[in-house]
Amino acid sequence: MTARGVDRRYIGTALGLSALAAAITLASTAPVLAHAADRGHVLILPTGYYLFGGAAAVALSFLVLALVPPGCLDRLFSFRRSLAVAPTWPRLAASTASFLCFVVLVAAGYLGSRDPLSNPLPLTFWTLFWIGLTLLQGVFGNIWWWINPLYAPWRLLSAVLGRNRAPELPRGLGYWPAVALFLGFAWFELVYPAPDDPARLASVLAVYFAANLSAALIFGYEAWTRQGECLSAFLGMIAKLAVVEGCEPRRKRRALRFCLPGAKLSSAEPLPSSGVVFLLLALSSVSFDGLMRTFFWLGLNDVNPLEFPGRSAVVGIGSYGLVAMFAALAAAFFAAVALGDRLSGKSAGIAAAAGALVWSIIPISMAYHFSHYLTALLVNGQYALAALSDPLMNGADLFGTAGLHVQAGIVMGARSAWAIWNLQAAAIIAGHLLAVVVAHAIAYRLYGSAARATRSQIPLAILMVVYTIFGLWLLSSPTAA
Amino acid sequence: MTDRRNVSSIIRNPISRRSALKGLAATAAIGTAPGFVRYSQAQSSAPIKIGFQAHRTGIGASYGRWYERTTAAAVKLINEAGGINGRPIEIITEDDGTDAARGAEVIEKFANQHKTDIVYGTLFSHVVVGSAPAAGELKMPYYVVSEGYHVASGKMNRWVLQPGITDVKAQTRSVAPWITSNVGKKITMIYPDYAFGHDHRDFFAPAAVEQGGEVIAQIPIPPTETSFTRYFPQIPADTDVIYHVMVGPAVLTFVKELGEFYGGSGPALFGFIDSLEAVDINSPGLEFLEGSHFWEGMPRYLQEGASEAEIAYRDAVGLDENGASVNDPKDVSTNAHSFGCWETLYVIKAAMEAADYKGPEDRAKLIEATEAMTEFAEGKEHPQGDKVFNGKIHQCFGHQNISVVENQKLKVVHRTSIEDGMYEPEADYTTQTL
Repeated sequence: MTARGVDRRYIGTALGLSALAAAITLASTAPVLAHAADRGHVLILPTGYYLFGGAAAVALSFLVLALVPPGCLDRLFSFRRSLAVAPTWPRLAASTASFLCFVVLVAAGYLGSRDPLSNPLPLTFWTLFWIGLTLLQGVFGNIWWWINPLYAPWRLLSAVLGRNRAPELPRGLGYWPAVALFLGFAWFELVYPAPDDPARLASVLAVYFAANLSAALIFGYEAWTRQGECLSAFLGMIAKLAVVEGCEPRRKRRALRFCLPGAKLSSAEPLPSSGVVFLLLALSSVSFDGLMRTFFWLGLNDVNPLEFPGRSAVVGIGSYGLVAMFAALAAAFFAAVALGDRLSGKSAGIAAAAGALVWSIIPISMAYHFSHYLTALLVNGQYALAALSDPLMNGADLFGTAGLHVQAGIVMGARSAWAIWNLQAAAIIAGHLLAVVVAHAIAYRLYGSAARATRSQIPLAILMVVYTIFGLWLLSSPTAA
Repeated sequence: MTDRRNVSSIIRNPISRRSALKGLAATAAIGTAPGFVRYSQAQSSAPIKIGFQAHRTGIGASYGRWYERTTAAAVKLINEAGGINGRPIEIITEDDGTDAARGAEVIEKFANQHKTDIVYGTLFSHVVVGSAPAAGELKMPYYVVSEGYHVASGKMNRWVLQPGITDVKAQTRSVAPWITSNVGKKITMIYPDYAFGHDHRDFFAPAAVEQGGEVIAQIPIPPTETSFTRYFPQIPADTDVIYHVMVGPAVLTFVKELGEFYGGSGPALFGFIDSLEAVDINSPGLEFLEGSHFWEGMPRYLQEGASEAEIAYRDAVGLDENGASVNDPKDVSTNAHSFGCWETLYVIKAAMEAADYKGPEDRAKLIEATEAMTEFAEGKEHPQGDKVFNGKIHQCFGHQNISVVENQKLKVVHRTSIEDGMYEPEADYTTQTL
């Protein structure tokens, strides 16, 4: 390392420390203009009724289900209607195109604008992919299977390296690689100070992609994207909520069938414990995304929400909060399943019951995803349209949207706040209702009789009522930022 | 590295984007041409690089959006009129996440990576306070648009200046004479119980007493509080005027509950528009504000008799009559603050011209030239009004507006004098070595 390099690093560290020290010591002369924000409009809405109504609706749905004749749900969820039989060759073409887009976006991350709202990489990744594609998966099924940018390079490299016979993941590994990667992903999204920084995001994604491509070559593409690469694993699971079912590819063709929302969840293969942990981690992370902005959480950690110091100052709090939220949800879920298993009178085994019943939280996960990211999708989606039209900010206008005036007002003001709150509340309540229905169908299969299934579901239904209230409370409480 | 990476969506402003874009693309082409010589050595037409420390994400993003639009509009006009010393301005945006530690990182990046001439544009005080040591260490002129008293207090350093917006001490002092003469002498203050509220408490109360007023009660509200009715019985019955500076998402609840508590009567209200920046006054819950008064740095609503300069400024930034975006009537501006970006850029232009600024080697000369300024005349460069600049404390002083809420709009009823806000300087940065 050169002397200059040392100096710069030293100065950097010293500046960082002195900045923090100065910010703390001079806090008394530091007025901050906390924005009244659109949550202010929600605060004066009668949200308490929604909390009560939502909880009542979920509880009532459980009671109604107890009266539904056994097998009725099963028949509904078994309904399928053939939609199409698609050839699988577009998968390679779509993945190649997707891979090329990925390369261009990563390059734009390094070479494009430094502004996270002008550079297409953070906007495409966080808004279009993480928010938008997840929602599409939940409605239309596993689109990601067709467009995953890992697939084409994996095909090419495995052909070159002569690894055509895919080995399987070691049995004991389960979903633990996906758990570890998702924890890192959630930490980067929610805790790391600058996940939107185009160049840093480009580096993170490039390393992530290369590492997962290597892992896919070692462990096999299908196994790794199911249980290792956490985004594909999550998207594959969310797709089980959708109304389109893609059958296993056969002779280079894939049958697509229509089914009812949640139908695929009720008959999904039970997950091993690591898979249960993975899904609970996914739900807890988006719940924590809501919680960590609330006055309640900030006050609990002695952070003044009106003078929020920035993410750098809350890395420690965020890290423990993310883990604590997961631990709390996991403890509550396993306790509810264990208690239900005992109440059923005919134990299916806690691990087996948890592995089957955990699929019922997918609708809740989807509802949280929609509700928490709706405003970001509406506004940053527009920024994304503008940025994609001119990815390097060199005057290009590929799609005619480069000069788009971003209508931030779409989420501003009392009327928007009312509309958005109602959409969010509807999604949260609908997600929990569907969860109760799916859980009931799974329990019927697990325990073999309507009475046993109903008894087994009492604790989980209580947990879902509580989580409904929690979800609505998160969206109606005062937040910073 | 090309200059392209430095361009931001600042130029996505529809009013200016396409034309500004052309200019920037042209400078990018110069920057990447073979045999290009860095302007510090030779190029007299190479751009002046201004590092814009922007609140693109985090708690300040609503303000950040308007700071960017205002910056874009001013830069476009300056460049169309020949730039600074014949050189165009190039804005390089870095997001600080409204985060003090990232603010310092951004300053370092501007100095070492982008090699900007100066850094400009920060609003949130904790970011200014966090970034100032880095600016001092790296000898980087740092022009903030923050409104805080931290610059004038002498607690920053010689490289930090605030020439385009008045500070909270001056603002609170300047409204005191009008309140005591026109609204009432017995004042109850309600403020959030942290630095922002404490500044109002510490600066306004003595100023009110000087004017013959009396602060008969001070009611601090914990920052995490979201319901306020239980505090209202502490308001003395003989209060003439409630001075309120609540901020954050619970402001609407505060006003609504205050209205319900007094039921259409009660003391007069005086507030700071900081409480409702970017919020439509015509929102449910704010009905009780009708007839009450607010401080505004720059009027949000277009006033009858507005100067040509102010109208030109509003048109350039893209503000409609209600102070919202002409393209998006629900997107209410932060005009009471963001005008400061416009005026600061014109001060930078004037100071660079006075210093005959050539490049980073002239940064110290630039600071001295700024410190030597004493007055800014009202006009297109200073549409908010004329100002006095005190080079010792690096702070400008100006007129303030007092507006009444009438038909759910703000109408200016009084304009304070510059002297109303003046105070004894507590520091002298010019004694520090550059």
